[in-house]
Amino acid sequence: MNSQNKSSGKCDSEKKDLQIRVPYIDFNAQYNEIKEEILKEITCVLEKGSFVLGKELVKFEKNFASYTGTKYALGVANGTDALFLVMKALDIGKGDEVITVPNTFIATAGAIVAAGAKPVFVDVKNDFNINPELIDNVVTKNTKAIIPVHLTGRVADMDSILEIAKKHKLHVIEDAAQSVGARYKGKRAGSFGIAAGFSLHPLKNLNAAGDAGLVTTNSGELHEKLVLLRNHGLKNRDECACWGYNSRLDCLQAVIANVKLKHLDKWTEKIREIANIYKDGLKSFVGKGIISVPVDHPFEEPVYHTFIIQCEKRDELQAFLFEKGIKTKIHYPIPIHLHEAASGLGYKKGDFPVAEQQAKIILSLPIYPEMSDEQVAIVIDEIKSFYGRFTLS
Amino acid sequence: MKVSYSYLKEQFANPDAILADVKKLVLSGDFTLGNALEEFEKSLAEFLGSKFAVGVGTGTDALRLSLIAAGVKPGDEVITAVNTFYSTAAAIATVGAKPVFVDVTDDLLMDVSLIEKVITKKTKAIIPVHLHGTPVDMKKIIAIAEAHKLVVIEDSCQSLGAEVHGKKAGTFGLTGCFSLHPLKPLNVWGDAGVVVTDSETVRDRLHLLRDNGLKNRDECEEYAFNCRMDTLQAVVGNHLIKDLDKILDAKIENSKYYDKEFVSVKQIRIPPREKDVKRVYHNYVLIVEDRDKILVFLREKGISAKIHYPIPLHLQKASKYLSYKKGDFPVAEEQTEKIISLPVHQHLTQEQKEFVVKTVKEFYK
Repeated sequence: MNSQNKSSGKCDSEKKDLQIRVPYIDFNAQYNEIKEEILKEITCVLEKGSFVLGKELVKFEKNFASYTGTKYALGVANGTDALFLVMKALDIGKGDEVITVPNTFIATAGAIVAAGAKPVFVDVKNDFNINPELIDNVVTKNTKAIIPVHLTGRVADMDSILEIAKKHKLHVIEDAAQSVGARYKGKRAGSFGIAAGFSLHPLKNLNAAGDAGLVTTNSGELHEKLVLLRNHGLKNRDECACWGYNSRLDCLQAVIANVKLKHLDKWTEKIREIANIYKDGLKSFVGKGIISVPVDHPFEEPVYHTFIIQCEKRDELQAFLFEKGIKTKIHYPIPIHLHEAASGLGYKKGDFPVAEQQAKIILSLPIYPEMSDEQVAIVIDEIKSFYGRFTLS
Repeated sequence: MKVSYSYLKEQFANPDAILADVKKLVLSGDFTLGNALEEFEKSLAEFLGSKFAVGVGTGTDALRLSLIAAGVKPGDEVITAVNTFYSTAAAIATVGAKPVFVDVTDDLLMDVSLIEKVITKKTKAIIPVHLHGTPVDMKKIIAIAEAHKLVVIEDSCQSLGAEVHGKKAGTFGLTGCFSLHPLKPLNVWGDAGVVVTDSETVRDRLHLLRDNGLKNRDECEEYAFNCRMDTLQAVVGNHLIKDLDKILDAKIENSKYYDKEFVSVKQIRIPPREKDVKRVYHNYVLIVEDRDKILVFLREKGISAKIHYPIPLHLQKASKYLSYKKGDFPVAEEQTEKIISLPVHQHLTQEQKEFVVKTVKEFYK
């Protein structure tokens, strides 16, 4: 009955009784590190019976705002709602256009459409983020906002984006769903635009045990509107100022994320170390032009939500690694403009050549703080072994 | 004596069995649209006698997604009761349709005889609200809907387990919408909701609508939303659904006790109790004299009484653009000044119930 998007990689593992040497993510390991802390917090929520918009949520919101370097953080039901509610609060809707990228998760475009606006796509650069040089071409008199997506854990080229937005008087709403903690010129993701949307989905670097999200902003006015919109438009228990939504971050999820937030920088550091080991381990193939790995500019500190290589013989490599017990993924195999959902937008194959080409050659390698050095080495060795065959033959 | 309206501390005083299953879920990582959710959906559909149940983010989302699945579009009108919780109207308004209110009767439910008067060419749907655990007369609603070719979406958020014409509330319309909010009889540890339907087409559409329009991991059929019921909450629900009948019975018994005690108090009007209807008393609401004074009196004595709801929807600021005015819904307006909800939850002790009765009687002596 449920053929839908699952967060576990269970379906794959059921296909074959293979020994998984390197899973794509390891919930077990993360939970074991912090289970005492988390159980204590959950018990506390249960004892108080404080499940909805309780003090624990406010505490987490404060910590998250302080972490991202913003004035306000507001818990909402999920990352999609975060973007959607910001657009609603900014009165972006019917007849408006919002610029974003075609290689993001479908929800970015979904949120724009749900708000009533039209998504307008711009191709990306080699780092998978929006190409600011192409934005000017698609700005029309209906354009209201740009949603740069900090994909893979890397902040988009915010200096250029903010300059273009200023020139055309557009809002910048950051899709920071994959980039909690990432820095660009010293500032954290989520602190550049009028607002940003974050996701705490179980597969994110900072995650809850279900769906949850946050909006960050420095605008008190916007924050106030969002407080209404996420909770039925209620000013207080009895007075409804505007028709709103029910999109609250469960207190139970907030306490879980709050515990993890304390560990996040340590985990991010570990992830960045793994990224460096990958880059170093794969450099001979990079030199030969068989693989390309992400490159960090000196002013960037990406958090590698995904570590994506662009490689030759991608599908064969993925199948080979799978046989060797290594789980990899593709983020994402079909660019947004080529989905059935986008058929009314008038795009066609060839409109976004960079994103389209990347979709054919990208592969996300496992990367999470609990990965052992041995596991990282296994991934590198098996990739070497795969390409080694071709070099020999 | 303290008699609180909420019962969550008592209900979850011994959470170990549930926590053990939560822990299993955490270790499996099966957080999003996981197996426990499917199991919960099946159990709930079975409990209600519906073919399908679809877990969504909240009861509000259940209504909103139902309206979209039913084809309600901007410019359409949707009829509902004026004394319901905000989210019924908000769900209508946020899909771009216009909420059209009707007044209520003595039983605090939508006055079915007024519906036809407000039907226009633009009317697309009726949302009867089974408020406070009392089901609306669904035979009449369905007859009107059929005569005018309207969709019926039941707001059953407060009435899980209620029955009318021998059938569960929520199973008459195209969809029935339920909330599993912590203060509902079948409650979870945060926000969650469910839509039930007998239509496979509607179920399939809801599956898309709740999960970003995704047919599978990689293909998006339509732009949609993210409003999935957390699998973690389904784990909680799978435990509590076993207690549901017991919880409902306890609330019904508490209500019967109150009814028996209050029937002789002349300042109190008990809403009608038709025999062939199963009410589940989400709220135990009385219509009383000197409401504001007794509310203060009860609270001073430690009894947490409430008002559901103090301002009817047409007089909320959010409704301003709909151009209703005071006097448009005289019954609901009068009721808002006289209704009071007494604690009725399943953890009340006999002593607490007696104290509530004694205190109310003392006030009206």
